Amino acid sequence: MTAAVRPDAGLKLAGAAVFGTDLDVPGMLWAAFVPAPVAHGRIRSLDLRAARALPGVTVIGPDDLAGLVGPGERDSERTLFAEGEIVYRNQPLAVVAAPSLSEARAAVAAVKVEVDPLPIVSDLEQVFPEWPGSDADASPLIAAHVRARHGNVDVEFRKADRVVSETYRTASVHQVALEPHACVAEIRGDIWFVRTTTQSPFGVREDASSLLGWPESSIVVEGTWVGGGFGGKGACFLEPYALLLARATGRPVRLALTYSEEFRLGRTTLPAVVRMETAVTAGQIRARRVRLLLDVGTSLPGRDFATGYSIGFLLGPYRTEAFEVEGYAVRTHKPPFGPHRAPFAPQCAFVVESHLDHVARELNLDPEEFRARHHWREGDTTPLGQKVGPFGLASAFERARSTAREWRAEAPPGHGVGIGCGFWSTSTGAGGEVRLRLGPQRLVVLQGEREIGSGSVLAGLTAVAARTSGLPPERISIEYGNTAEAPFDSGVYGSRTLGALGRAIEEAVTALRRTLAQRLGARGQAELSIERDEIYAEAGERRAALVVLLTPEEDAAGGILAEGRHFAPPRTIDEKRVLSGSFYPYTDFTGAAHVAEVSVDPATGAVRVERYAAFQDAGTVVDRGSAQAQVEGGVAMGLGTALTEEAIWSDEGRLVNDGLLDYRIPTLDEIPPIAVEFIEGFAGAGPFGAKGLGEPPIVPVPATVAIATRAACGAHVTELPLSAERVARALKLL
Amino acid sequence: MASFDLVVPETAEEAIAALQTLAPGEAAPIAGGTNLLFDLEEGRIAPRRIISLRRLPWRTLDWNGGALTIGSTLPLRSLEDDPEVRRRHPGLYEAVRNVGGVALRHRATLGGNLVRSSPASDLTPMLLALDAEVDLVGPQGDRRVPLDRFLQSSRRTDLRPGELVRSVRLPEARPSAFLLQRVRPANDISQVVVAVAFASSERSWRIAVGGVPPRPTLLPEAAASLGSGRPDPAAVRRAGASAASHSALAADRRASEEYRRRVVGHLVERAVAMVSGGEGFPA
Amino acid sequence: MTAGQLRLTVNGTAVELADVPAPERLLDTLRWRMKLKGTKEGCRTGDCGACTVLVDGRTCLSCLTLAHEVDGTSVTTIEVGPEDALVGRVRAAFEAAGALQCGYCTPGFVMAIAGLLRERGTGAPREELLEGLGGNLCRCTGYTAIVRAVDALRTETP
Repeated sequence: MTAAVRPDAGLKLAGAAVFGTDLDVPGMLWAAFVPAPVAHGRIRSLDLRAARALPGVTVIGPDDLAGLVGPGERDSERTLFAEGEIVYRNQPLAVVAAPSLSEARAAVAAVKVEVDPLPIVSDLEQVFPEWPGSDADASPLIAAHVRARHGNVDVEFRKADRVVSETYRTASVHQVALEPHACVAEIRGDIWFVRTTTQSPFGVREDASSLLGWPESSIVVEGTWVGGGFGGKGACFLEPYALLLARATGRPVRLALTYSEEFRLGRTTLPAVVRMETAVTAGQIRARRVRLLLDVGTSLPGRDFATGYSIGFLLGPYRTEAFEVEGYAVRTHKPPFGPHRAPFAPQCAFVVESHLDHVARELNLDPEEFRARHHWREGDTTPLGQKVGPFGLASAFERARSTAREWRAEAPPGHGVGIGCGFWSTSTGAGGEVRLRLGPQRLVVLQGEREIGSGSVLAGLTAVAARTSGLPPERISIEYGNTAEAPFDSGVYGSRTLGALGRAIEEAVTALRRTLAQRLGARGQAELSIERDEIYAEAGERRAALVVLLTPEEDAAGGILAEGRHFAPPRTIDEKRVLSGSFYPYTDFTGAAHVAEVSVDPATGAVRVERYAAFQDAGTVVDRGSAQAQVEGGVAMGLGTALTEEAIWSDEGRLVNDGLLDYRIPTLDEIPPIAVEFIEGFAGAGPFGAKGLGEPPIVPVPATVAIATRAACGAHVTELPLSAERVARALKLL
Repeated sequence: MASFDLVVPETAEEAIAALQTLAPGEAAPIAGGTNLLFDLEEGRIAPRRIISLRRLPWRTLDWNGGALTIGSTLPLRSLEDDPEVRRRHPGLYEAVRNVGGVALRHRATLGGNLVRSSPASDLTPMLLALDAEVDLVGPQGDRRVPLDRFLQSSRRTDLRPGELVRSVRLPEARPSAFLLQRVRPANDISQVVVAVAFASSERSWRIAVGGVPPRPTLLPEAAASLGSGRPDPAAVRRAGASAASHSALAADRRASEEYRRRVVGHLVERAVAMVSGGEGFPA
Repeated sequence: MTAGQLRLTVNGTAVELADVPAPERLLDTLRWRMKLKGTKEGCRTGDCGACTVLVDGRTCLSCLTLAHEVDGTSVTTIEVGPEDALVGRVRAAFEAAGALQCGYCTPGFVMAIAGLLRERGTGAPREELLEGLGGNLCRCTGYTAIVRAVDALRTETP
């Protein structure tokens, strides 16, 4: 398989790409956080004097903000420092800057803090050993409570042939982008300028403004090359602190996390408990009850997106007559819950697929046939009352079954083959815009996102611009501008980049081609081509070199300009089905079915994935190299969630395994051969009917491994990850 | 991280002298440095002086008949690459190549591994099963200590002030096997390590386990149940059961106690079968 | 010495650095003193391999190495020019196989593979080369494209 050469390969292979951690400005200071020593407590005193007395050291604590923040309204729920009460371990109490990192650390060590410890809530089931009762909404531990219902659930359960109930538990997992968070801030005149490794420069600007009280117009955010995001770099984090220190010192300030801080402060997926109850009559799922307890760390009241969005993935992609879901977001003394590639969807798919596989086995039905019979198809209605759009899941599942049959025929004893499904929806965020300049030799796309590695910006947008303009990819440049230079975009997340910015490019290219057709005296859109190194436009009977079609102003500006925007197409759910909280519609429906062959060591329970195949609904594949790379990378990351990754929190709210030795992402050794096949033709919301592919490939992986493991050895494991020890327990070896 | 100075002695005598100029704990020798720098970064130690052993002539590998002497500063990668080591000490070869990644093994040394006395060491169980002896040099002269006595507990050894490990001696080549269990097969700390060797000269078995505090240990009772030659299946099962009941096996964040017992018993059985079924096993 | 002179040959050029403190890591010497930022800092505990460089042709975790401990050696980093033909071939294989995404682990992987090939040769068993990459973590690619690059390097005639 030959991949097209990535536009950024040469730079990265020469070691010349400047990442956030590489930023280096003459005279810059090094910053570090003063971390909270406990997970919960009242601050009796915070004595910063000894730290301030050290040469060259500047310290900013809660009491120093008044002179630095702006006149604007500041977010009262999210404070920069723990004020009065500490709510998670390592929460910033203050931030220091010094001429070197070792001096900054010495200053941190010189801070004296006295804390009266308060009781720590660290574990969901410690708080709610039973399901939260009717008084739970009043509990300060409940950050959100969502409920939805449709159909005659109680009747269906009462008259069911069989009801199957199970409880599942899933672990906290971390994004583990290899580059930790890092930024360098400088004050340039009236401008608060920060360069940072981020998935969302405009999002950082907006948040920094609301945290600092300065208007967005006075803040400029410039993205660097991003050493992996996976959701972890989607929000403002270090930037306001670095900006405050830059303001206070008058010097550039570098603030970067060590890798253990990256773990300890990371906003990521926290543990969850899910209860599944399914009523089956005559081989059909008649009704389901789904209950979710989601640990959201120190998340704030009302921020129930995680709960309301996640819970949808516990219902679909399966037809049911009646359902009832209830989810609680539970506050614990951990850092806030944050997005992690397809947030919580792999965990949901693990629960749904394992449960339905189990239900079918309990009823002596063929588990694959049972699932296939209930898969959503285009035109179905989701439990929340949204019409299912073009959806390739059934086709993907059919391909997966045929592969699974072949593999089963060849599998030696001790091996098992299983299929897992998953679905996801591209999110579009708050829209995106691009600015195009078509010159005599090149088409330049100016936009506001940096490449985070997935290829969606550099390879994906190039492919869209090439396909819509008719120009070869080498004639397209994707240029990046900071938030003062580039048009708005909401961020590289939610598998949205190709869809949103790609659609914006389509609109702008169409406008350009119409303008050119007009200038050639024709209607419609001009065709572009290359001849003797020049771009030519052709419409109607006329054809001309672009250079002669430019106005003098355009000539001076380097080309003809156009803008394109894209906003999410409106989608709705049936709000009558919602009893409390918020649930969300999907932009499009992206399915995937995966096949794994695993071997299980019958003595130790160790699971090894021997081979893997992914059938991915893609709408239309726009850039095959990037698309395949997303599936391979998503599968590998999912294998970590499935088998080895587990952030362990102690009863004291301490992250026990805060390093890459004990938090185990897959190494090369654990990755099997991965076959990738795309299912095309079920159009999504992106250009040419493309569906976003950053997240969907990770969704089915833990489910697939779990079902294959059960096929191999009979172990029905209801907890993630499927460590050897958990498999051994399920096999009753212990 | 606290500051320190670095001295680079040319001879063992200079190194010993340099160690003695400061109180114990204030001076630390560095060989490969892979453990030492990790501890420095984590702030676990704060020496004022570090004494580099890089110029000492200890990167050696010497065979004398069946006995093998491994210089303490020889990089593990060189040990792994020696074809004779691989042929005559198959268990040691397996143990060495499971330490970290290749780049780490290019710097990490046997001496450094021993003086750290980590309960999680993948190397020491195998060395125990090979009856390794540690050759020390120090202000009171040279001495040789059995590894079993040298290792005391986690981060504690019999090393006296001013002493350095010069080499490790393996008295004879033995049919041997090394097995481990990890959450992640590559680049992880083992939940359990099992090393088995057959001492051909005296026709007796050695079984050692590691991966649990306070230190890797020989299990003489389990070994004795294997008899003096090729054991029958019942004896192998007895050895596994005996090893599984080893009292030190305990729970930590990597594994529960019961899982460790289960896996130790199984790995002992497998390792014994590998050794007694291997080509080098004496008739 | 608390600080001292350090002599290295870096990417073929002899350099003398004055006043390098004893605790300084080779990683920091390269990145902050010599401004060679191509070598990446990931975990700083030897667990990710992003900082891998070659010291006298052998792979070395520069985060776990005191700069003074490699005094007098020849250090090769990702910035090395076309005169290093082996690194050049690894780069070309990575480019052709699409073996990188975000690029943060890439310098470490390129140096690790170059070091392994220098040690073992392109005729080394596939398993041995792949096992030799267990100390380098990549979160983006799932390693599959990196394995394709290694396979291409194994079969090509030097």
